[in-house]
Amino acid sequence: MVAAWLLLAPAAVMVAGVLAYPVAWEAWTSLTDLSPQRSGPARFVGLRNYVELATNPVYRFWPAAAATLAFVGLTGAVKLALGLGLALLLQRPFRGRALVLLAVFLPWVYPASVAVIGWYWTLNPPLVTSYSRLAADLKQAVDGAFGSGAWALASVGLFNVWRGAAFTGVFLLAGVQAVPADLFDYARLECPSPWRRFWFVTVPLLRPFLALAVFLSLTTGLADLANVWMLTGGRVVFPVLGTEAYWLGVQAGQLGPAAALSLTLVPPLALVLWALFRLVDPPEERPR
Amino acid sequence: MTRRRLRGLGRGGLCALVVAGALFPISFMLVQALKTPQEDVFGHPLIVRAPTLDNFRELFGEARQERGLVGRVLLRTYPVVRWLENTLLVFGASIVLTLGLSVMAGYGLGWLRPPGWRGWRRGLLATYAIPHTILFIPLYQVVIRLGLEDSLAALILTYPMLALPFCVWLLSAYWERLPRALEDAARVDGASRPAVFFRILLPLSTPVLVAAGVFTLGTVASDFMLASVFLTDPRVQTLPVGVGTMDVGLEELPAVAAINLLAIPLALLCGVFVRSYVRGLAAAMAEGA
Amino acid sequence: MAQVVLKDLNKMYDDVHAVKDVNLNILDKEFVVLVGPSGCGKSTTLRMIAGLEEITSGEIQIGNRVVNDLPPKDRDIAMVFQNYALYPHMTVYDNMAFGLKMRKFPKAEIQKRVQDAAEILGIQELLKRKPRQLSGGQRQRVAVGRAIVRHPQVFLFDEPLSNLDAKLRVQMRVELKRLHNRLETTAIYVTHDQVEAMTLGDRVVVMKDGWIQQVGEPLEVYGRPRNRFVAGFIGSPAMNFIETTVADGAGALWVECAGLRLRVPAERSARLAGKRRQAVVLGIRPEDLHPATGADPVDLTCEAVVDVVEPLGSDILLDVKVGNCVIVVRVDPSVRLRQHDKIRLAFTPERIHFFDAKTEESLQ
Repeated sequence: MVAAWLLLAPAAVMVAGVLAYPVAWEAWTSLTDLSPQRSGPARFVGLRNYVELATNPVYRFWPAAAATLAFVGLTGAVKLALGLGLALLLQRPFRGRALVLLAVFLPWVYPASVAVIGWYWTLNPPLVTSYSRLAADLKQAVDGAFGSGAWALASVGLFNVWRGAAFTGVFLLAGVQAVPADLFDYARLECPSPWRRFWFVTVPLLRPFLALAVFLSLTTGLADLANVWMLTGGRVVFPVLGTEAYWLGVQAGQLGPAAALSLTLVPPLALVLWALFRLVDPPEERPR
Repeated sequence: MTRRRLRGLGRGGLCALVVAGALFPISFMLVQALKTPQEDVFGHPLIVRAPTLDNFRELFGEARQERGLVGRVLLRTYPVVRWLENTLLVFGASIVLTLGLSVMAGYGLGWLRPPGWRGWRRGLLATYAIPHTILFIPLYQVVIRLGLEDSLAALILTYPMLALPFCVWLLSAYWERLPRALEDAARVDGASRPAVFFRILLPLSTPVLVAAGVFTLGTVASDFMLASVFLTDPRVQTLPVGVGTMDVGLEELPAVAAINLLAIPLALLCGVFVRSYVRGLAAAMAEGA
Repeated sequence: MAQVVLKDLNKMYDDVHAVKDVNLNILDKEFVVLVGPSGCGKSTTLRMIAGLEEITSGEIQIGNRVVNDLPPKDRDIAMVFQNYALYPHMTVYDNMAFGLKMRKFPKAEIQKRVQDAAEILGIQELLKRKPRQLSGGQRQRVAVGRAIVRHPQVFLFDEPLSNLDAKLRVQMRVELKRLHNRLETTAIYVTHDQVEAMTLGDRVVVMKDGWIQQVGEPLEVYGRPRNRFVAGFIGSPAMNFIETTVADGAGALWVECAGLRLRVPAERSARLAGKRRQAVVLGIRPEDLHPATGADPVDLTCEAVVDVVEPLGSDILLDVKVGNCVIVVRVDPSVRLRQHDKIRLAFTPERIHFFDAKTEESLQ
């Protein structure tokens, strides 16, 4: 038993060590009026930052929260749907399947760190390139319809879906292959409607893998957003929780409200996580 | 017969659509990188008529294109070789570190199963619920306190956080399901516990290890944020951060070339392992997560 | 109720010819067992009948209807899988009702059918449980019950007993036979176990390498195997094979090898006459040898030395050396013998088989 703890320790220290201080710092800072623009020690202000966020329209908290929710929810749903479709498309052997699988895999392994740069330049072209015109028209159309910055957000979403659907697809394909093939064969024998087969058999059988895939795709959705803020210095993205926090913290120097803003993401994510854990391993079916 | 053919045709069409959608952005980027400046402005967006490697050569400072007065004056040289070295070092070290730690933790949780092992595994996975966007300001303070600013070590030490929880889950889920008799048989033959691990469990787990490795590489290679916060000195930057600082207005073509320089080999490297990746994931997921 | 006809059935995977020119007429209400070693094409054949594998060439009829292009769900068959294929997320009741629910049967009808099937199989108390709370034998019953409720034209069984322990397997075997007698539905059953094949089948189809080797009633296949493979595959312990040469002498044909010289029974001579000085394989089942008594003609006996004694209780298996070869003999438990004892063995003349050494065909 001691050996088990010793083996686990380095990984736990590694993860907790990187996370502990930042999380604690954010939590503390969110309760203070810390700002580099003001001399003197930070004062404890209780929950004032949070109250301010919720009530003062200057912080644009509610629009940003709505946009974040829309972004994560939409991309998450699309990624899941596309990924599941891809997994089912690739479930049974056919000629050329290996090549299609490879093609599906590539968007995810195409390193996003540089892909995001390429994506950003393509959609916001720098010079008069051969495709600038098209990209500019698109941008104008979308921004015109949904407000300034909408195209930037939508394009990040598109990028995230391209990449995330690939990951989800391959992940769920592995899930499909982990389920005994008999279970799907039996459904083919007994169920006349593919639609009902999907809802009564495929989805319940894949439930744990769907849950994990959703969770991983949520976190990568947020990570892609983060990459784009950094790349563009927070300039071009539609107000989302993260961008607002970046603005407040780095540009406006209001670290307290910025920390509070960032932390509002944690409870909903934790809630989703809890729900997903229940799906992965429901207590009444737990073995042993 | 017609019905089956119709189904085959439908699947073929879907596959074609999927392949096109997946590869279009990749091929688009590659096509831009192969264009001459003339074609970049006046050519077809999706096709390159006279492909050239000049952009790659220019990136390494070997050939300088005539780009007009403004361009010639303002062109900088970039330590691209250095960036590549840094990138490979960071990726390689993070993968080794992540895999090493996840193998240890995975074995501890999945095979030795101390009390509460399931909770620990969930706890690790739960760290994904902390959005990384909230981390970089305080993390940067820590990095400065430790004197690691502009050091690759800062990245190597933080990257495992991104992939470790998943890899631990993957490996421990696989080992959890391997029959205990594997160890009993070997121990009856006089093998020690470590010997059982290195001679039997680890070799049996190659596909799962490959899956964990590919996942780590894919995750680490997708980070731009942490790298751009920690590394500001061009001499120690990784390629993504370096390219991110290039001035697009003037040097779009070499920049696009640089993107391809890293992305295409990495994507193909992972592509080679796609089968193992699926097999490894499936092995770990078999019989419910 | 239906007959099943397979005509020139073939299955090609990329580079493997898994099923070769299979022709088979399965009668209405018949219980047919496909048996053979793994990779012989029996499961593939069954899956083609079910519609789970596409047919490369040939034709399948179920109840006089060509079903080649019919999807599995429209073939009016029910299948029991080796691993039972029970859905872990559904109760036993929902598992059994699944096929009917999906076909939109009225609720009352579903309930009645599930209750009936549960009663037949004695699983009424299990209906509310989930599959993971059941033992192997109970899961097996549920899997069978799931097929029964559908009242199909044909039952397909894919090695349904191979995951059970030996005792349970025997018990379920009897129950399946009883069930078939009661339901009188055409059944096609795949197994690698020749005992199951013999005990369950009205007819047995022996397959190897994608070819049908022999089709016949169990005792016919046992008694008159068409070739060496069938002879060796059916029956346990397996038939003994001895490489011999055909020779002339004293107005009769003889087969001989080191330590053995037997007179060929007169009614067999015709087929062996053309084989003088050639090799033939003599086959004799362990139960068709016995310790010689005075009543046995001397030219149908041989000397043997006991090597291993295996008492089974009901009888004793002796591994004995005859010349250079080792053969198995099944003897009465009253026979007292030990290692290295010498005995004289007599061959039951009408049970001796001869096979061509090259083609392995029976020389009956």
